[in-house]
Amino acid sequence: MSGKNINLTLKIWRQNSPEDRGRWEIFQAKDISTEASFLEMLDIVNEQLALAGKEPVAFDHDCREGICGTCGCAVNGRPHGPDRETTLCQLHMRRFQEGDTLVIEPYRARAFPVIKDLVVDRSAFDGVIQAGGFVSVNTGQAQDANNLPVPRDDAERAMDAAACIGCGACVAACPNAAAMLFVSAKVSHLAVLPQGRTEAARRALSMVAQMDAAGFGNCTNHKECEVECPKGISISNIARLNREFIKAGLASKE
Amino acid sequence: MQLDSKIPGGPLETKWDRHRFDLKLVNPANKRKFEIIVVGTGLAGGSASAALAELGYNVKTFCIQDTPRRAHSIAAQGGINAAKNYPNDGDSIWRLFYDTIKGGDFRAREGNVYRLAQVSNLIIDHCVALGLPFAREYGGLLANRSFGGAQVSRTFYARGQTGQQLLLCCYQGMMRQIAAGQITMFPRREMLELVTVNGQARGIVVRNLLTGEIERHAAHAVVLATGGYGNVFYLSTNGAGSNVSAAWKAYKKGAGFANPCYTQIHPTCIPVHGDYQSKLTLMSESLRNDGRVWVPKQAGDKRPPHEIPESERDYYLERIYPSFGNLAPRDISSRAAKLMCDQGKGVGSTGLAVYLDFADAIKRLGRKVIEERYGNLFQMYHKITDQDPYEVPMMIFPASHYTMGGLWVDYNLMSTIPGLFALGEANFSDHGANRLGASALMQGLADGYFVIPYTMGGYLGGTPLTEVNTSHPAFTEAEAAAKARTEKLLGIKGKRTAASFHRDLGNIMWEYCGMGRNDEGMKKALKLIADLRGDFWQNLLIPGTDKNFNQSLERAGRVADFLEFAELLVTDALARRESCGGHFNEAFQTEDHEPLRDDENMCHAAVWEYAGEGKDPIFNKEPLVFENVKLAVRSYK
Amino acid sequence: MIWVARIFSTSIGKKQLMAVTGILFLVFLTTHLLGNLSIYGGIEAFNAYAEHLHALGKLLVVAEVGLVVALIIHVTLAIILFFENRKARPIKYAVDKSGGGGRTLSSQTMPFTGLLILAFVGLHLANLSHHIVDQTNRTIFQIAYEVFANKGILIFYLASMVVVGLHVRHGLWSAFQTIGANHPKYMPFIEWLSIFFAVIVAVGFGSLPLAILALK
Repeated sequence: MSGKNINLTLKIWRQNSPEDRGRWEIFQAKDISTEASFLEMLDIVNEQLALAGKEPVAFDHDCREGICGTCGCAVNGRPHGPDRETTLCQLHMRRFQEGDTLVIEPYRARAFPVIKDLVVDRSAFDGVIQAGGFVSVNTGQAQDANNLPVPRDDAERAMDAAACIGCGACVAACPNAAAMLFVSAKVSHLAVLPQGRTEAARRALSMVAQMDAAGFGNCTNHKECEVECPKGISISNIARLNREFIKAGLASKE
Repeated sequence: MQLDSKIPGGPLETKWDRHRFDLKLVNPANKRKFEIIVVGTGLAGGSASAALAELGYNVKTFCIQDTPRRAHSIAAQGGINAAKNYPNDGDSIWRLFYDTIKGGDFRAREGNVYRLAQVSNLIIDHCVALGLPFAREYGGLLANRSFGGAQVSRTFYARGQTGQQLLLCCYQGMMRQIAAGQITMFPRREMLELVTVNGQARGIVVRNLLTGEIERHAAHAVVLATGGYGNVFYLSTNGAGSNVSAAWKAYKKGAGFANPCYTQIHPTCIPVHGDYQSKLTLMSESLRNDGRVWVPKQAGDKRPPHEIPESERDYYLERIYPSFGNLAPRDISSRAAKLMCDQGKGVGSTGLAVYLDFADAIKRLGRKVIEERYGNLFQMYHKITDQDPYEVPMMIFPASHYTMGGLWVDYNLMSTIPGLFALGEANFSDHGANRLGASALMQGLADGYFVIPYTMGGYLGGTPLTEVNTSHPAFTEAEAAAKARTEKLLGIKGKRTAASFHRDLGNIMWEYCGMGRNDEGMKKALKLIADLRGDFWQNLLIPGTDKNFNQSLERAGRVADFLEFAELLVTDALARRESCGGHFNEAFQTEDHEPLRDDENMCHAAVWEYAGEGKDPIFNKEPLVFENVKLAVRSYK
Repeated sequence: MIWVARIFSTSIGKKQLMAVTGILFLVFLTTHLLGNLSIYGGIEAFNAYAEHLHALGKLLVVAEVGLVVALIIHVTLAIILFFENRKARPIKYAVDKSGGGGRTLSSQTMPFTGLLILAFVGLHLANLSHHIVDQTNRTIFQIAYEVFANKGILIFYLASMVVVGLHVRHGLWSAFQTIGANHPKYMPFIEWLSIFFAVIVAVGFGSLPLAILALK
């Protein structure tokens, strides 16, 4: 763990409120240890801003270990920055060189309005889950867990999809601001498990309807979501959603 | 302060059944007339919200995050325990109960812990029914592994993301109830005050973190599921937002705070590397199943690990605890690591780390198997430290992780304020002085899914409650107090940020009230905390205003509470004249540096009562009665 | 029938109609190319193919109507989707950079290559369709030769075939993905087929005018 210090120029989007038009501000980040994480670098900049009597840059974060899905913004055009399968909090400054300029801006999508600076409102995702991203079983109703065998591969595939952290990078990365990777991850997680089959048709139709109503764009298979997903969720889930949608639309009573 | 634990009499195995029978029921048609506030949306708050809503209560749920899928329960990696005995290896409800009591160093209630072990199985059933993709065997049935200090394989897991998957179950259950109109969700709200009317908890005052507006919310009962206070150490494995504020506000309104000195230091975290560091990252304890912990035998040996021959390595856990070896419980492993570093055998640039070495496991099982088991953890380690753990041993060091202390609750999970319940890490009830691995998830969900739905009915059905709405003077008063406090914070206009005060507080706590404690240090800490708090109220700087989204203001409020709470933690640690579990006072240890309990004088929960601004808290105690287990010296040798 | 409208007004429904009509065009391209390759059998063979085709009579009309309907659906939906997608991101990124391995030149230019193809189809029909061009005294070969003898038109044709190839490169695998045909076992083949088919279409159709000019 031997680090060095680097100097960077930060071009950061500042916006006071959802109504504000927003503007760019330039900051110098000096003597940043390459061992620091990206968010720690922002912490340092914010501490300096506060001491200089200015308002720190607002950004969402919590666990800082890549699992809660709270953090995220675009760094030089890349959601969560340049590393693959890495959340912003897991991105380290050793990834950057002395003298680099970083353009830092919030996720841009109609369905994710900016709240302040780099903080966006992702509640549209909650709306999509409310439309059917669950199994309707009440507490206490369940049978013994081992009464229902699930093939290991199915469980693994479900887990691949269930690993989604709901960070919104897929929407941010999509040239159309589509939410298909997010929606398909939840539909897939539940569609490949027997527990989720009962409501599969209803789920697919109503989640897609809610996704459209929330103002996300349409999928045109650019694959950018898969590239930027910090959890490596595959677009084969989108294909599965498409299949589930056909099945539900043509063959179910829904 | 009345401390009636309300533990039902009779045999341990039937206590919960009889208690459920004795509890009053609320008729289905009447449930919708009751409103319940739940604060916090981790496993406990999420599961409680969903389960209460399913029953037909009107639930109003609050969280500080942008959505109820983010609370720090999500970061739990290893798994969740249950007494299913699927592997046929000798597990039972009784054994899970006994292990938990013993693991907690005999400082938890028998009745609560037995109930926890009983309902543990229902949690697995329920989560599987909700579609949780637990790991499975090729035959399609659930896989188990052994975990942190257990000699049976009773841990269910979903890769290294068990907490995430469980939290998503709760979240999805909540979303279903929101769609059904049973839950009203209030995200990005911070609880500023608890409102009591006639001594009963009847509502809360919150700040809308987006707009800065102060809101009043009334209900028939309030459930706090606001997590632990590990961030009092500043550097911890907790999420950045985790805080003690809600519990602290409840304490100041009269709720007893129990055993704050029981703090768990997790042995396997990535070591500290710089003063800008904002958090410590946990490496799942499951790594100790295959990794071997060692330091050089010679103090001050600065050779790189591969140059240190086998004969000059000290695999100290295997040496000191031959029967548990690298799987010794958390408190024991953490203290052993500290001891090694105190003796100058620590490794890495700071000397504050020990090796966790997988070379033998890779040799024995092959890289592929190790990759399957720990791939995501290895990748995480690599990302953070830029070192490849397949090639060089990991470096680990203990860090604050979980807090066993919390709001005092009775068997119904109700605090000393009627109508105020505390669930999950926010209460003190089930883990005693030390929590075993994979038990936090179990407790959070047990409380939320399988205890509160019953005991809440018992309270609402059996308690006369007057009509209260938000125009009641108690709300006006609470709102005024909240506003005055915010104004006071903003009015200081000093020169230091809340973050820098928090860092200083953390240094004090870690240094003088961390893994190893002594009276002199703790007394010094009390003085340092008071000084720091004085400086805070003189010299705090908060940029911006309270009229919009202001993360600096949020942080300042939480640090202000930590600065008060820290004092209570140290006071409790000083008052506990023994060493047990997560509390280790150097004056009370055996010749082998093992903690020395005092069962004669200290077999109680210490419950602190708020006495008013500037006054010493009042000490109360709930004696712990053990009828079914014999208090033994906890030996893992 | 309300359910039909409901399904096909959703984003996925619209995309799936795009996919199905797109696949129809791919089938059309295949048969059209196979037929026109008769030019390599000489002038007689080429003219004979055209006559056989016209001899299909009502069957040909059905196919033509089908293609026109598919074209209307494909183009209308493309326009709707294009504007919906623009609306979904009202403020653009200052830096818009691909992560690599995602969008391609082909995927990014779909709306524009589509528009160019539409223009090409218009010109193509005006030049060569038996509905528009009087064929009583001339063979199809003579007509085609006269068209391609114009250098401007020839260059536009050749360029258009590259554009068609570009459109097909993303369109083919994308259509399969959209109707849900993505499986780790055969998706690599479909992706490969996309590129292969794109090259075949561009080279195959592109070679035709040159072959015609060479034959005189």
